[in-house]
Amino acid sequence: MKITKLGEFEELVLLTVIVLKEEAYGVAIKKELEDRLNSTLSVGSIQSALKRMEEKGLLKSEFGEATNRRGGKRKRIYEATPYAFKVISELKEIRVSLWDAIASFKPGFNMG
Amino acid sequence: MRLPHLSLVLIWANIDLKYLLSNYKITMKDSSSIDHHPPRWPIKVLKLLLKNEYLEEIEGDLEEVFQDNVELHSPAKARRRYIWDSVKLIRPSLIKNLSVHSYSSVGMFKNNLKVSFRILKRNKAYTFINVLGMSVGLAIAMLIMLYAQFELSYEDYNPQSSRMVRVTLDYLSGETVIHQDCETYPPLGPLMKAEFSEVEEFTRAYHNDEKTIQIDDQFFRESNIYGVDPAFFTLFNYPFIKGNQKGVFTKAYETVLTRSQAYKYFGKIDVVGESLKMAGVETPFKIVGVIEDCPPNTHLKFNMLISYPTMNVQFRDAEDNWNGNNTYTYLLLNDKANLANFGLSMQAFTKRLIDDEKVRDENVVSQPVKDIHLYSNKSFEPEKNGDATSVYFLLGVALLVIIIAIVNYINLSTSRSLDRAKEVGIRKVLGTSMFQLRTQFLTESILINLFAGVLSLILMLATFSEFKNMAGLPMDFHFFANSTFWLVLVSIIILNSLLSGVFPAFILSSFKPVSILKGRFSHSAKGTFMRKSLVIFQFAITIFLLIQTLTAEEQLRYMREKDLGLNIERTIVVASPHDRDLVKKNHQTYKNELEKFAQFTSVATSSCVPGLPAHDMGTTTSVRLAGAKENSFNYYILHMDAGFIPTMEIEVLAGRNFIENAERDDEVILNEETVRLWEIANPEEVIDKQIKFWGKELTIVGVIKNFHQASAKSAYLPMIFLPENSGLAYTSIKTTAGDVKANLALIEEVYNKNYPNSPFEYFFLDQEYDKQFRADEQFQQVFGTLTGFAILIACLGLFGLVSFTIAKRAKEIGVRKVLGAEVWQIILLLSKDFVSLVLFSMIIAIPLTFFIINNWLERYAFRIDLNVWLFAIPALAVLFVAAITVVIETWKISRANPIKSLRSE
Repeated sequence: MKITKLGEFEELVLLTVIVLKEEAYGVAIKKELEDRLNSTLSVGSIQSALKRMEEKGLLKSEFGEATNRRGGKRKRIYEATPYAFKVISELKEIRVSLWDAIASFKPGFNMG
Repeated sequence: MRLPHLSLVLIWANIDLKYLLSNYKITMKDSSSIDHHPPRWPIKVLKLLLKNEYLEEIEGDLEEVFQDNVELHSPAKARRRYIWDSVKLIRPSLIKNLSVHSYSSVGMFKNNLKVSFRILKRNKAYTFINVLGMSVGLAIAMLIMLYAQFELSYEDYNPQSSRMVRVTLDYLSGETVIHQDCETYPPLGPLMKAEFSEVEEFTRAYHNDEKTIQIDDQFFRESNIYGVDPAFFTLFNYPFIKGNQKGVFTKAYETVLTRSQAYKYFGKIDVVGESLKMAGVETPFKIVGVIEDCPPNTHLKFNMLISYPTMNVQFRDAEDNWNGNNTYTYLLLNDKANLANFGLSMQAFTKRLIDDEKVRDENVVSQPVKDIHLYSNKSFEPEKNGDATSVYFLLGVALLVIIIAIVNYINLSTSRSLDRAKEVGIRKVLGTSMFQLRTQFLTESILINLFAGVLSLILMLATFSEFKNMAGLPMDFHFFANSTFWLVLVSIIILNSLLSGVFPAFILSSFKPVSILKGRFSHSAKGTFMRKSLVIFQFAITIFLLIQTLTAEEQLRYMREKDLGLNIERTIVVASPHDRDLVKKNHQTYKNELEKFAQFTSVATSSCVPGLPAHDMGTTTSVRLAGAKENSFNYYILHMDAGFIPTMEIEVLAGRNFIENAERDDEVILNEETVRLWEIANPEEVIDKQIKFWGKELTIVGVIKNFHQASAKSAYLPMIFLPENSGLAYTSIKTTAGDVKANLALIEEVYNKNYPNSPFEYFFLDQEYDKQFRADEQFQQVFGTLTGFAILIACLGLFGLVSFTIAKRAKEIGVRKVLGAEVWQIILLLSKDFVSLVLFSMIIAIPLTFFIINNWLERYAFRIDLNVWLFAIPALAVLFVAAITVVIETWKISRANPIKSLRSE
């Protein structure tokens, strides 16, 4: 199985895009992640993750509506590609199997 | 990919600092308005850097986040976040791909940078000399620039200043101007507004003597109180921060305080409606407004303003007074007025005034307000003005220091070409193009200059408070928020990099690889000549700076040590209370009680003491010697009692002093200068003659020797001394050598006993007198420091050049030693060349310096004679320092074993 290199932060952004569905654009993703991570993120970090993933074929995007609040600039709505779904589910499987392995070797290990 | 960002980060950092500073103010103003906009410049920069296709989205995101932050936090914080977010957007995945178009040049550039770093690291001494020389030069030049910028910025705070003129008077004797006075007659302002269509508004500013201000039971002595017209606030751009500007200052007994004055008196600024008392004035003053403090860069600084009508009602200056010129007059001209034409129309105006018999032997002239600080030096200036010559002189020197630093770099790097020749040869053989070689050398010079730039900033920060003291800049002055500063710094670094990089780049890259690699490598005569002339140039500048420093030092010492014609030592001067009636009543007992103490040898009272600004003395043109022809010299009037002459130890040339407690007001004493102006050779001749003075007949009882009322910088003043026993502005007490503190305590006790409720203020006459030399001292210190660094830099350069020459002649020296030459012979041989360079620079520098210094000394009324030593000492000093540099360097090589240099071919 070929493993696509996907950074931890990228993965978080990707998941957020999927969660937000048609509302997935820069600022919304930033807010959502800030809430979940409970820390401040810069526009740059989100944008750079989005662009990198778009280049890898994990995301595709198109222009959305423009609002006053954005100084008349259009949003760019992101959407995960089927390939992305494949990659993250693979990642999840790997993780789950690894966790299972840990649990079977150390029965007393408490995850909480 | 890294380097372009290095310089960018520098710019970012600068703008950011400047921004953060200005930010503070913006928040205070903006907090009430609804619409907020992020700063525009980050987007402009981002447009240059980020990929175009991402721009719209990112801009929108930034804007939206900004708006969110405005609501969540404050506009200021939102702006800071905005900037910080913008900075963080500059990352590899988002910026334009530089390598797509010019892949090879970026690779080349990386390589250049790597090689440069290696070379700079390998030659630590060379890098050190270069960076040090450059950064010291830069730091000096930038500091001087800040100083000059401040001096040139006078009145810039006021957008109307370019349309403003000050009206002043020229006193004439026949056609020649004999005296210029800043102060004018009170009716001039209103009259000119009525007569000239160009004049939009006028304001007068009447300089009051020091006053005592009373707030409840607290007393403050205040100087710089001006009586002004309502238009003052508009003309000088002081909007009210408290109170309403409309309709103020048309009535007497109104006052406007500055912010810090309001804090001083009341501990708050919201003081409109309160009132304050002035000693000796019955009616209290109503506070009608509060304005900001005067900026440091205005010539008219004040602590407090009172309404002009007060001057008429309270201080007895009639509105149509054509006899006493005691007020400054400022006019605001309209847009269409032309300053030169306006000056011309003043001539016709003066003529009308003369026809109306308002004035005589006088010209009313105007001068642009912007020119006052640097170009005006008339009597009764509101403050000691700056001097354009000094400013430009220092700027010139700063430029010279930069040039010396650049010359150094060129000399050092070309002289190092020997080391680099093989590298150049190999690179060429391997197919490097001329262009690539030149870029290599340019990269090195850019790197060195960048290091130097950073180091110079550190140097500046380290020396800044010291420098502010030295140059007399305001304490809160700083360069962080000064965009010109950063602009000049960055452009000097760029220019330096180019200038100092281009020359080596071209010389070094032009070597022929074959001859280098064969080992037959010689330098062109042209290059040597170039280097030699640069060294001559450097030393000529150094010699000039040294001579100038020495002359200025001598001149200052001369003025300090010159016989003043009076003795100002051990003299304590106490200011009298402002309540005139109280002084009149108690002065005599006060004086008598002081005189009882043995340690106070004499006590005198006078209207002014030597060393104080001419402000404190009255002047008049209305003095005529009976039977003599008419003239209109401007005489300075000093009121004094009989104690003044003995206390100051002034010599009486003819006649006698006033008689103690004689109560005679028909006597007058003159000084030598007055008699000289009357073209009378022997002072005895005027004794017992009458003069007409303000309509009175006075008998001349004595002529005293000239003394320097002001320092020896200015000529002797023609002075008239009038008797007065009832206590004047100052009481001078000559003390015997003894405990100063105990003496002061004694005086204070006597003072408080006689003048209760008045602040006790005193100064030591010699210290006060010395303040006049402050400007010269500052100039001297700045100049001396500059000279020191110039010598240091020049010697670094010489050092580099010497080591180069020696390395070139290593074989020759080896052969000489084998043939039996002594160490001293070799040193002599090698030093000869350099010493002749220094000698040559002397020949160039000395005549030029002589010319410049002669001009410079013209500004002093009493000046030193130029003598040979003033030139010889600096020249010899430079020769000596240069010789030491050369000998140290040659000593090593001449002691070395000749085998070392001869064995390799």
